[in-house]
Amino acid sequence: MSDESKMRQALGRLLGPAEPEVGCDVCFDELDHYVELEVAGGDVDAEIPGLRAHLAGCPACREEHDSLLALVSGR
Amino acid sequence: MSAVGAATVKVVESVTPLAVPAADLESAQWLRGLRAQGEEHDAAVARLHALLLRAAHFEIARRRQALPHLRGNELEDIAVEAADDALLSVLRRLDDFRGASRFTTWAYKFALLEAAVKLRKRAWQGREIPLEPESWDEYSSSVLGPAAAAEQGELLTAVQRAIDDALTPHQRTILIALALNGVPIDVLAERLNTNRGALYKTLHDARRKLRRHLLERGFALDDWLEAE
Repeated sequence: MSDESKMRQALGRLLGPAEPEVGCDVCFDELDHYVELEVAGGDVDAEIPGLRAHLAGCPACREEHDSLLALVSGR
Repeated sequence: MSAVGAATVKVVESVTPLAVPAADLESAQWLRGLRAQGEEHDAAVARLHALLLRAAHFEIARRRQALPHLRGNELEDIAVEAADDALLSVLRRLDDFRGASRFTTWAYKFALLEAAVKLRKRAWQGREIPLEPESWDEYSSSVLGPAAAAEQGELLTAVQRAIDDALTPHQRTILIALALNGVPIDVLAERLNTNRGALYKTLHDARRKLRRHLLERGFALDDWLEAE
């Protein structure tokens, strides 16, 4: 990874998402619904606003999202 | 759910699905069995435990390469513990299931969470938590031209100054540990005797302050974040 790319990634982690986001508890409550919407090709941002931004800002919730998506979609 | 906790980043206040589908037949069968008495209940609980154990094994398999020091029997113990804890959570929160997804998808997330949290904690067992920036030097570019390097250096200095000046000591500690040093949020929550939700709220507030502080000083953050 280049120095500039490392710098950009660090800045992204420090500043987090610019958009409004839900917290970890709402993320967990909505995760199953969100993932099934994703699998079905639904409009996740309209139905569950703020969750995509949270996944961008919270590595732990993102990992759990990725696992649930992989598990239910067989990826 | 204990691992995540009750605090919320109150930016998007609540989430109400536009359309909540009626529980599907299979989900209804799960609920009926788990709410039944006697043998029907016991059989449903046993089936649920098996389902949760499958999900825990799935999570462990995804992370196994990152945990070479854990032996097979240790991983199996983690899987069973995760399934046991997830089972208790699912049964305790059965009335929270509102049919927005299939019951199995709803239940899976408890096992994935429990397994993920246990694996993160195991990976950091006995390790010191770095609460200070390990080094800013690694972010200084050696390949940029003089003008870009100067701009990047100015931003780096401003970020460090903003962390020192604009944040409370607690916000600074949480931001550095989570965002810069890569400490998993569950690990830090356990060491600080708090929960994931509360820590993320602190992280969120620190990020907002940092962003505002830098924007007020004229830094075009989006250019930096979005540049290829």
